[in-house]
Amino acid sequence: MSNTNSLILEGINLKKTYKLGRSQVPVLHAASLQIHQGQWTTILGSSGSGKSTLLHLLGGLDRPDQQGGEVLFNGESVWAKSNRQINAYRNNHVGFVFQFYHLLPELTVLENAILPTMIGGSFTTTSEAKNQAEHLLDQFGLSHRFTHRPRELSGGERQRVAIARALVNNPSILLADEPTGNLDEETGDGILDVLGALHQDGLTIVMVTHNMEIANRGDVIVHLRGGNITQLD
Amino acid sequence: MYQTLLTSRYLTSRVIPLIAVAAVALCVALVIVVVSVMTGFLDMVQSSGKTLMGDVIISNGISGIPHYEKLVNRLEKNEQVLAATPIVDGWGLLRMPYPNSNVKQSETVQVWGIEPKTFAKVTDYKNSLQWKNPTTNQRDWLLLDAIANNEETLQSLLSPELWIEFVDLIKSASHTLNFVEANFLENTKALLNEEQWNTVLSFDVRLSGEDALQQQGLDLSRNGKPGIVLGLHVNDGNVRMKNGTYQVSRNDYWWAPRFEGTLTMLPVDAKGGIIEPESIIMPFVNEFQSGVFAIDESLIFIPIDVAQSLLHMDEAKIVDLDDPATIIGVDPARSTSILIRGVPGVKGEVLREIVRTIYDDFSSSFSYETVVLPPSSHDPGLIIQTREEQQRSFTGPVEKEREVMRTLFSIVYLVVAALILSIFWSIVFEKTRDIGILRSIGASRASIVWIFLQYSAVIGIVGSFLGLFSGWLITKNINAIHDAMGNPPLSIAIVCFALSICFGTYTVVKMLKGQMLPIVLGSLGFITLGGIGGLILFIRHIGGIVVWDASVYYFSRIPNELDWGSSLFTVGGAILFCLLGALIPAAKAADTDPVKALRHE
Ligand SMILES: Nc1ncnc2c1ncn2[C@@H]1O[C@H](COP(=O)(O)OP(=O)(O)OP(=O)(O)O)[C@@H](O)[C@H]1O
Ligand SMILES: [Mg+2]
Repeated sequence: MSNTNSLILEGINLKKTYKLGRSQVPVLHAASLQIHQGQWTTILGSSGSGKSTLLHLLGGLDRPDQQGGEVLFNGESVWAKSNRQINAYRNNHVGFVFQFYHLLPELTVLENAILPTMIGGSFTTTSEAKNQAEHLLDQFGLSHRFTHRPRELSGGERQRVAIARALVNNPSILLADEPTGNLDEETGDGILDVLGALHQDGLTIVMVTHNMEIANRGDVIVHLRGGNITQLD
Repeated sequence: MYQTLLTSRYLTSRVIPLIAVAAVALCVALVIVVVSVMTGFLDMVQSSGKTLMGDVIISNGISGIPHYEKLVNRLEKNEQVLAATPIVDGWGLLRMPYPNSNVKQSETVQVWGIEPKTFAKVTDYKNSLQWKNPTTNQRDWLLLDAIANNEETLQSLLSPELWIEFVDLIKSASHTLNFVEANFLENTKALLNEEQWNTVLSFDVRLSGEDALQQQGLDLSRNGKPGIVLGLHVNDGNVRMKNGTYQVSRNDYWWAPRFEGTLTMLPVDAKGGIIEPESIIMPFVNEFQSGVFAIDESLIFIPIDVAQSLLHMDEAKIVDLDDPATIIGVDPARSTSILIRGVPGVKGEVLREIVRTIYDDFSSSFSYETVVLPPSSHDPGLIIQTREEQQRSFTGPVEKEREVMRTLFSIVYLVVAALILSIFWSIVFEKTRDIGILRSIGASRASIVWIFLQYSAVIGIVGSFLGLFSGWLITKNINAIHDAMGNPPLSIAIVCFALSICFGTYTVVKMLKGQMLPIVLGSLGFITLGGIGGLILFIRHIGGIVVWDASVYYFSRIPNELDWGSSLFTVGGAILFCLLGALIPAAKAADTDPVKALRHE
């Protein structure tokens, strides 16, 4: 993580329209945004403004409209890649944290955290991957929870497992969609502290929120309004 | 790999896979049992005649085949023919020894006059004979009969004191034998000296001769006189037990080989008119069981020459009508049909054509001077058929039933397939969100499909083989199960009631605590078990139910052979449908964008 200011992720004129039967729901019109190495960007917007949609486009989870702009990762268009490369992008280059954690209920905490390394990942041995997952869980205060099932954990603990899972493959960017949206303020603050610490260590973060106070944690705040991004600072 | 980890977790941490395995196993077992019993039934119908019929039959109705001995000789010379035997087939009235109220009962019977030696070569006659040696009890009755028939001879042998003792023994035995085993033979032997005993034994060869009873059946004669072999269900004294064995009523009193019957047949003259009926009294020498109720109920065997003379089909002299003293020719003996058995491996159709050629040669070998000519093979009355063709008329209704069954099979298969499909569909559907999660962290579509392929393969294979095993168990024991249903043991009812009471108390306890699910399940168990217990008591009360009635289904036992071909087909089909049922929704879920899958609740 050397060049602190280099551009790693860029959304250019992103357009996304949902089809609901015959009617069309335009969500993003021409949203553009640039993410620089080591930055913590927060996207602020009211409910229904399309924050999640934007983050999904950036994270390679959902496609923009036909000719609806581009997502560039390290200068390469994400959606022009093959399926295989898109899988690798989701697996290796970005880490996604959801509002509702989205852990697999049948797997233990450790297995959930390790899962991305089993799917793809840059680890050559299982023990290496295991060390990494254990290290992250330790770091998030979950060392005594390895063999527990997600349903046995509190919301804050689950979200920390989800963060560990997002980071296990050492991604370039962490994309967090209202990671505190489902938590009380104190627990939410704990999660934000975790993200803050990771950011201190140089992690690039894009976080979505509708809460001004939370948005203030980031270095850069952008507004999503009417389907477009407006820079604030 | 992670797929294996997930598959094993999905399999072990939920009840649904167990339910799915049970459902698949049940479906497979159901299909296997139904199909096995049904095909077994059809096979039995198809091969039913095999026991007592040849592979090819030549028949010419009541006018018969003259010079049939020559035909049999010609047939047996062919190397494709194993054996051939003539039959005289007719209907008759058989007066049975037992009284129906006060009159002796008569049965309408189909009479086959056979040549027992060659008949046994063509058919499975020997194995169809029911009695090989008499049981202890039957031997006691035979001894009693023998003594009663030879009273004077015996009295002359015994001293007066011994005679009195002997008469006492007979009197008490004849009273008790009707109800319990009397050990009469042993007691008699103990009373007499060796010479006297040997004289007694000499009255009836069946008392001591090894397999004499069977031999009399094979010879169709006793003491050099012709005898009758009855179908097992002709004699009403034979009672089929619930376990499929037979018992003779009144403690073997009505055992057929003790008695004789009067057979009356209606001869038909050359123009088809009926002449005076002919009767003959013959002893019953044995009984046979072909397994086909319709046959066992009405067919009897007598020696062919007896049948010929009863039906006026024996050799006769032809006289000049104007001058009855002048003999102008001989009307040869006739048989109504000839059964032919091919060497092993010869197809019925092939053998039929061989027989046809032989018959043509035979019928054209007579010169025109011969007074009585056999019918030509183009004669409409003459029929040369394979056993299957011959039976088609007899099994016609069953053939129709076969069509119904085929349709039933396919419906059962469809239902099972739909059931398995829907089970897996809902299992995978429920996992759509997991699929979204996996896709969002980079799992490929193919790897997702692979998870559910493994998952359904495990359930499919375990379920189907469990089903195969239980289907095999049920099919093998289907007669025992049927009998148990007909007479359910009281102990099961008691166990059911005990369990029902346990469930009842459990429900009441939970009711006090106010929990809903245990109440529902508890009362379900209470009602079901109580119901089963009650049903058993009811069935016992009405004296048991018999679903498989031998008189309706022709056969005395439910077929209990597993149909391996269709069973393995079913197992394969079930596994295939498990895979399909999981693959289709899994592929569909893997194809949707992860975001949409994640929204799935
Ligand atoms: N699959 C979809 N089909 C139709 N409309 C959709 C779909 N997904 C989102 N939308 C609509 O798009 C709009 C933006 O949704 P999005 O989830 O991106 O908003 P958001 O800013 O994340 O809101 P929130 O703060 O409530 O999470 C909403 O009006 C939503 O109803
Ligand atoms: Mg959202």
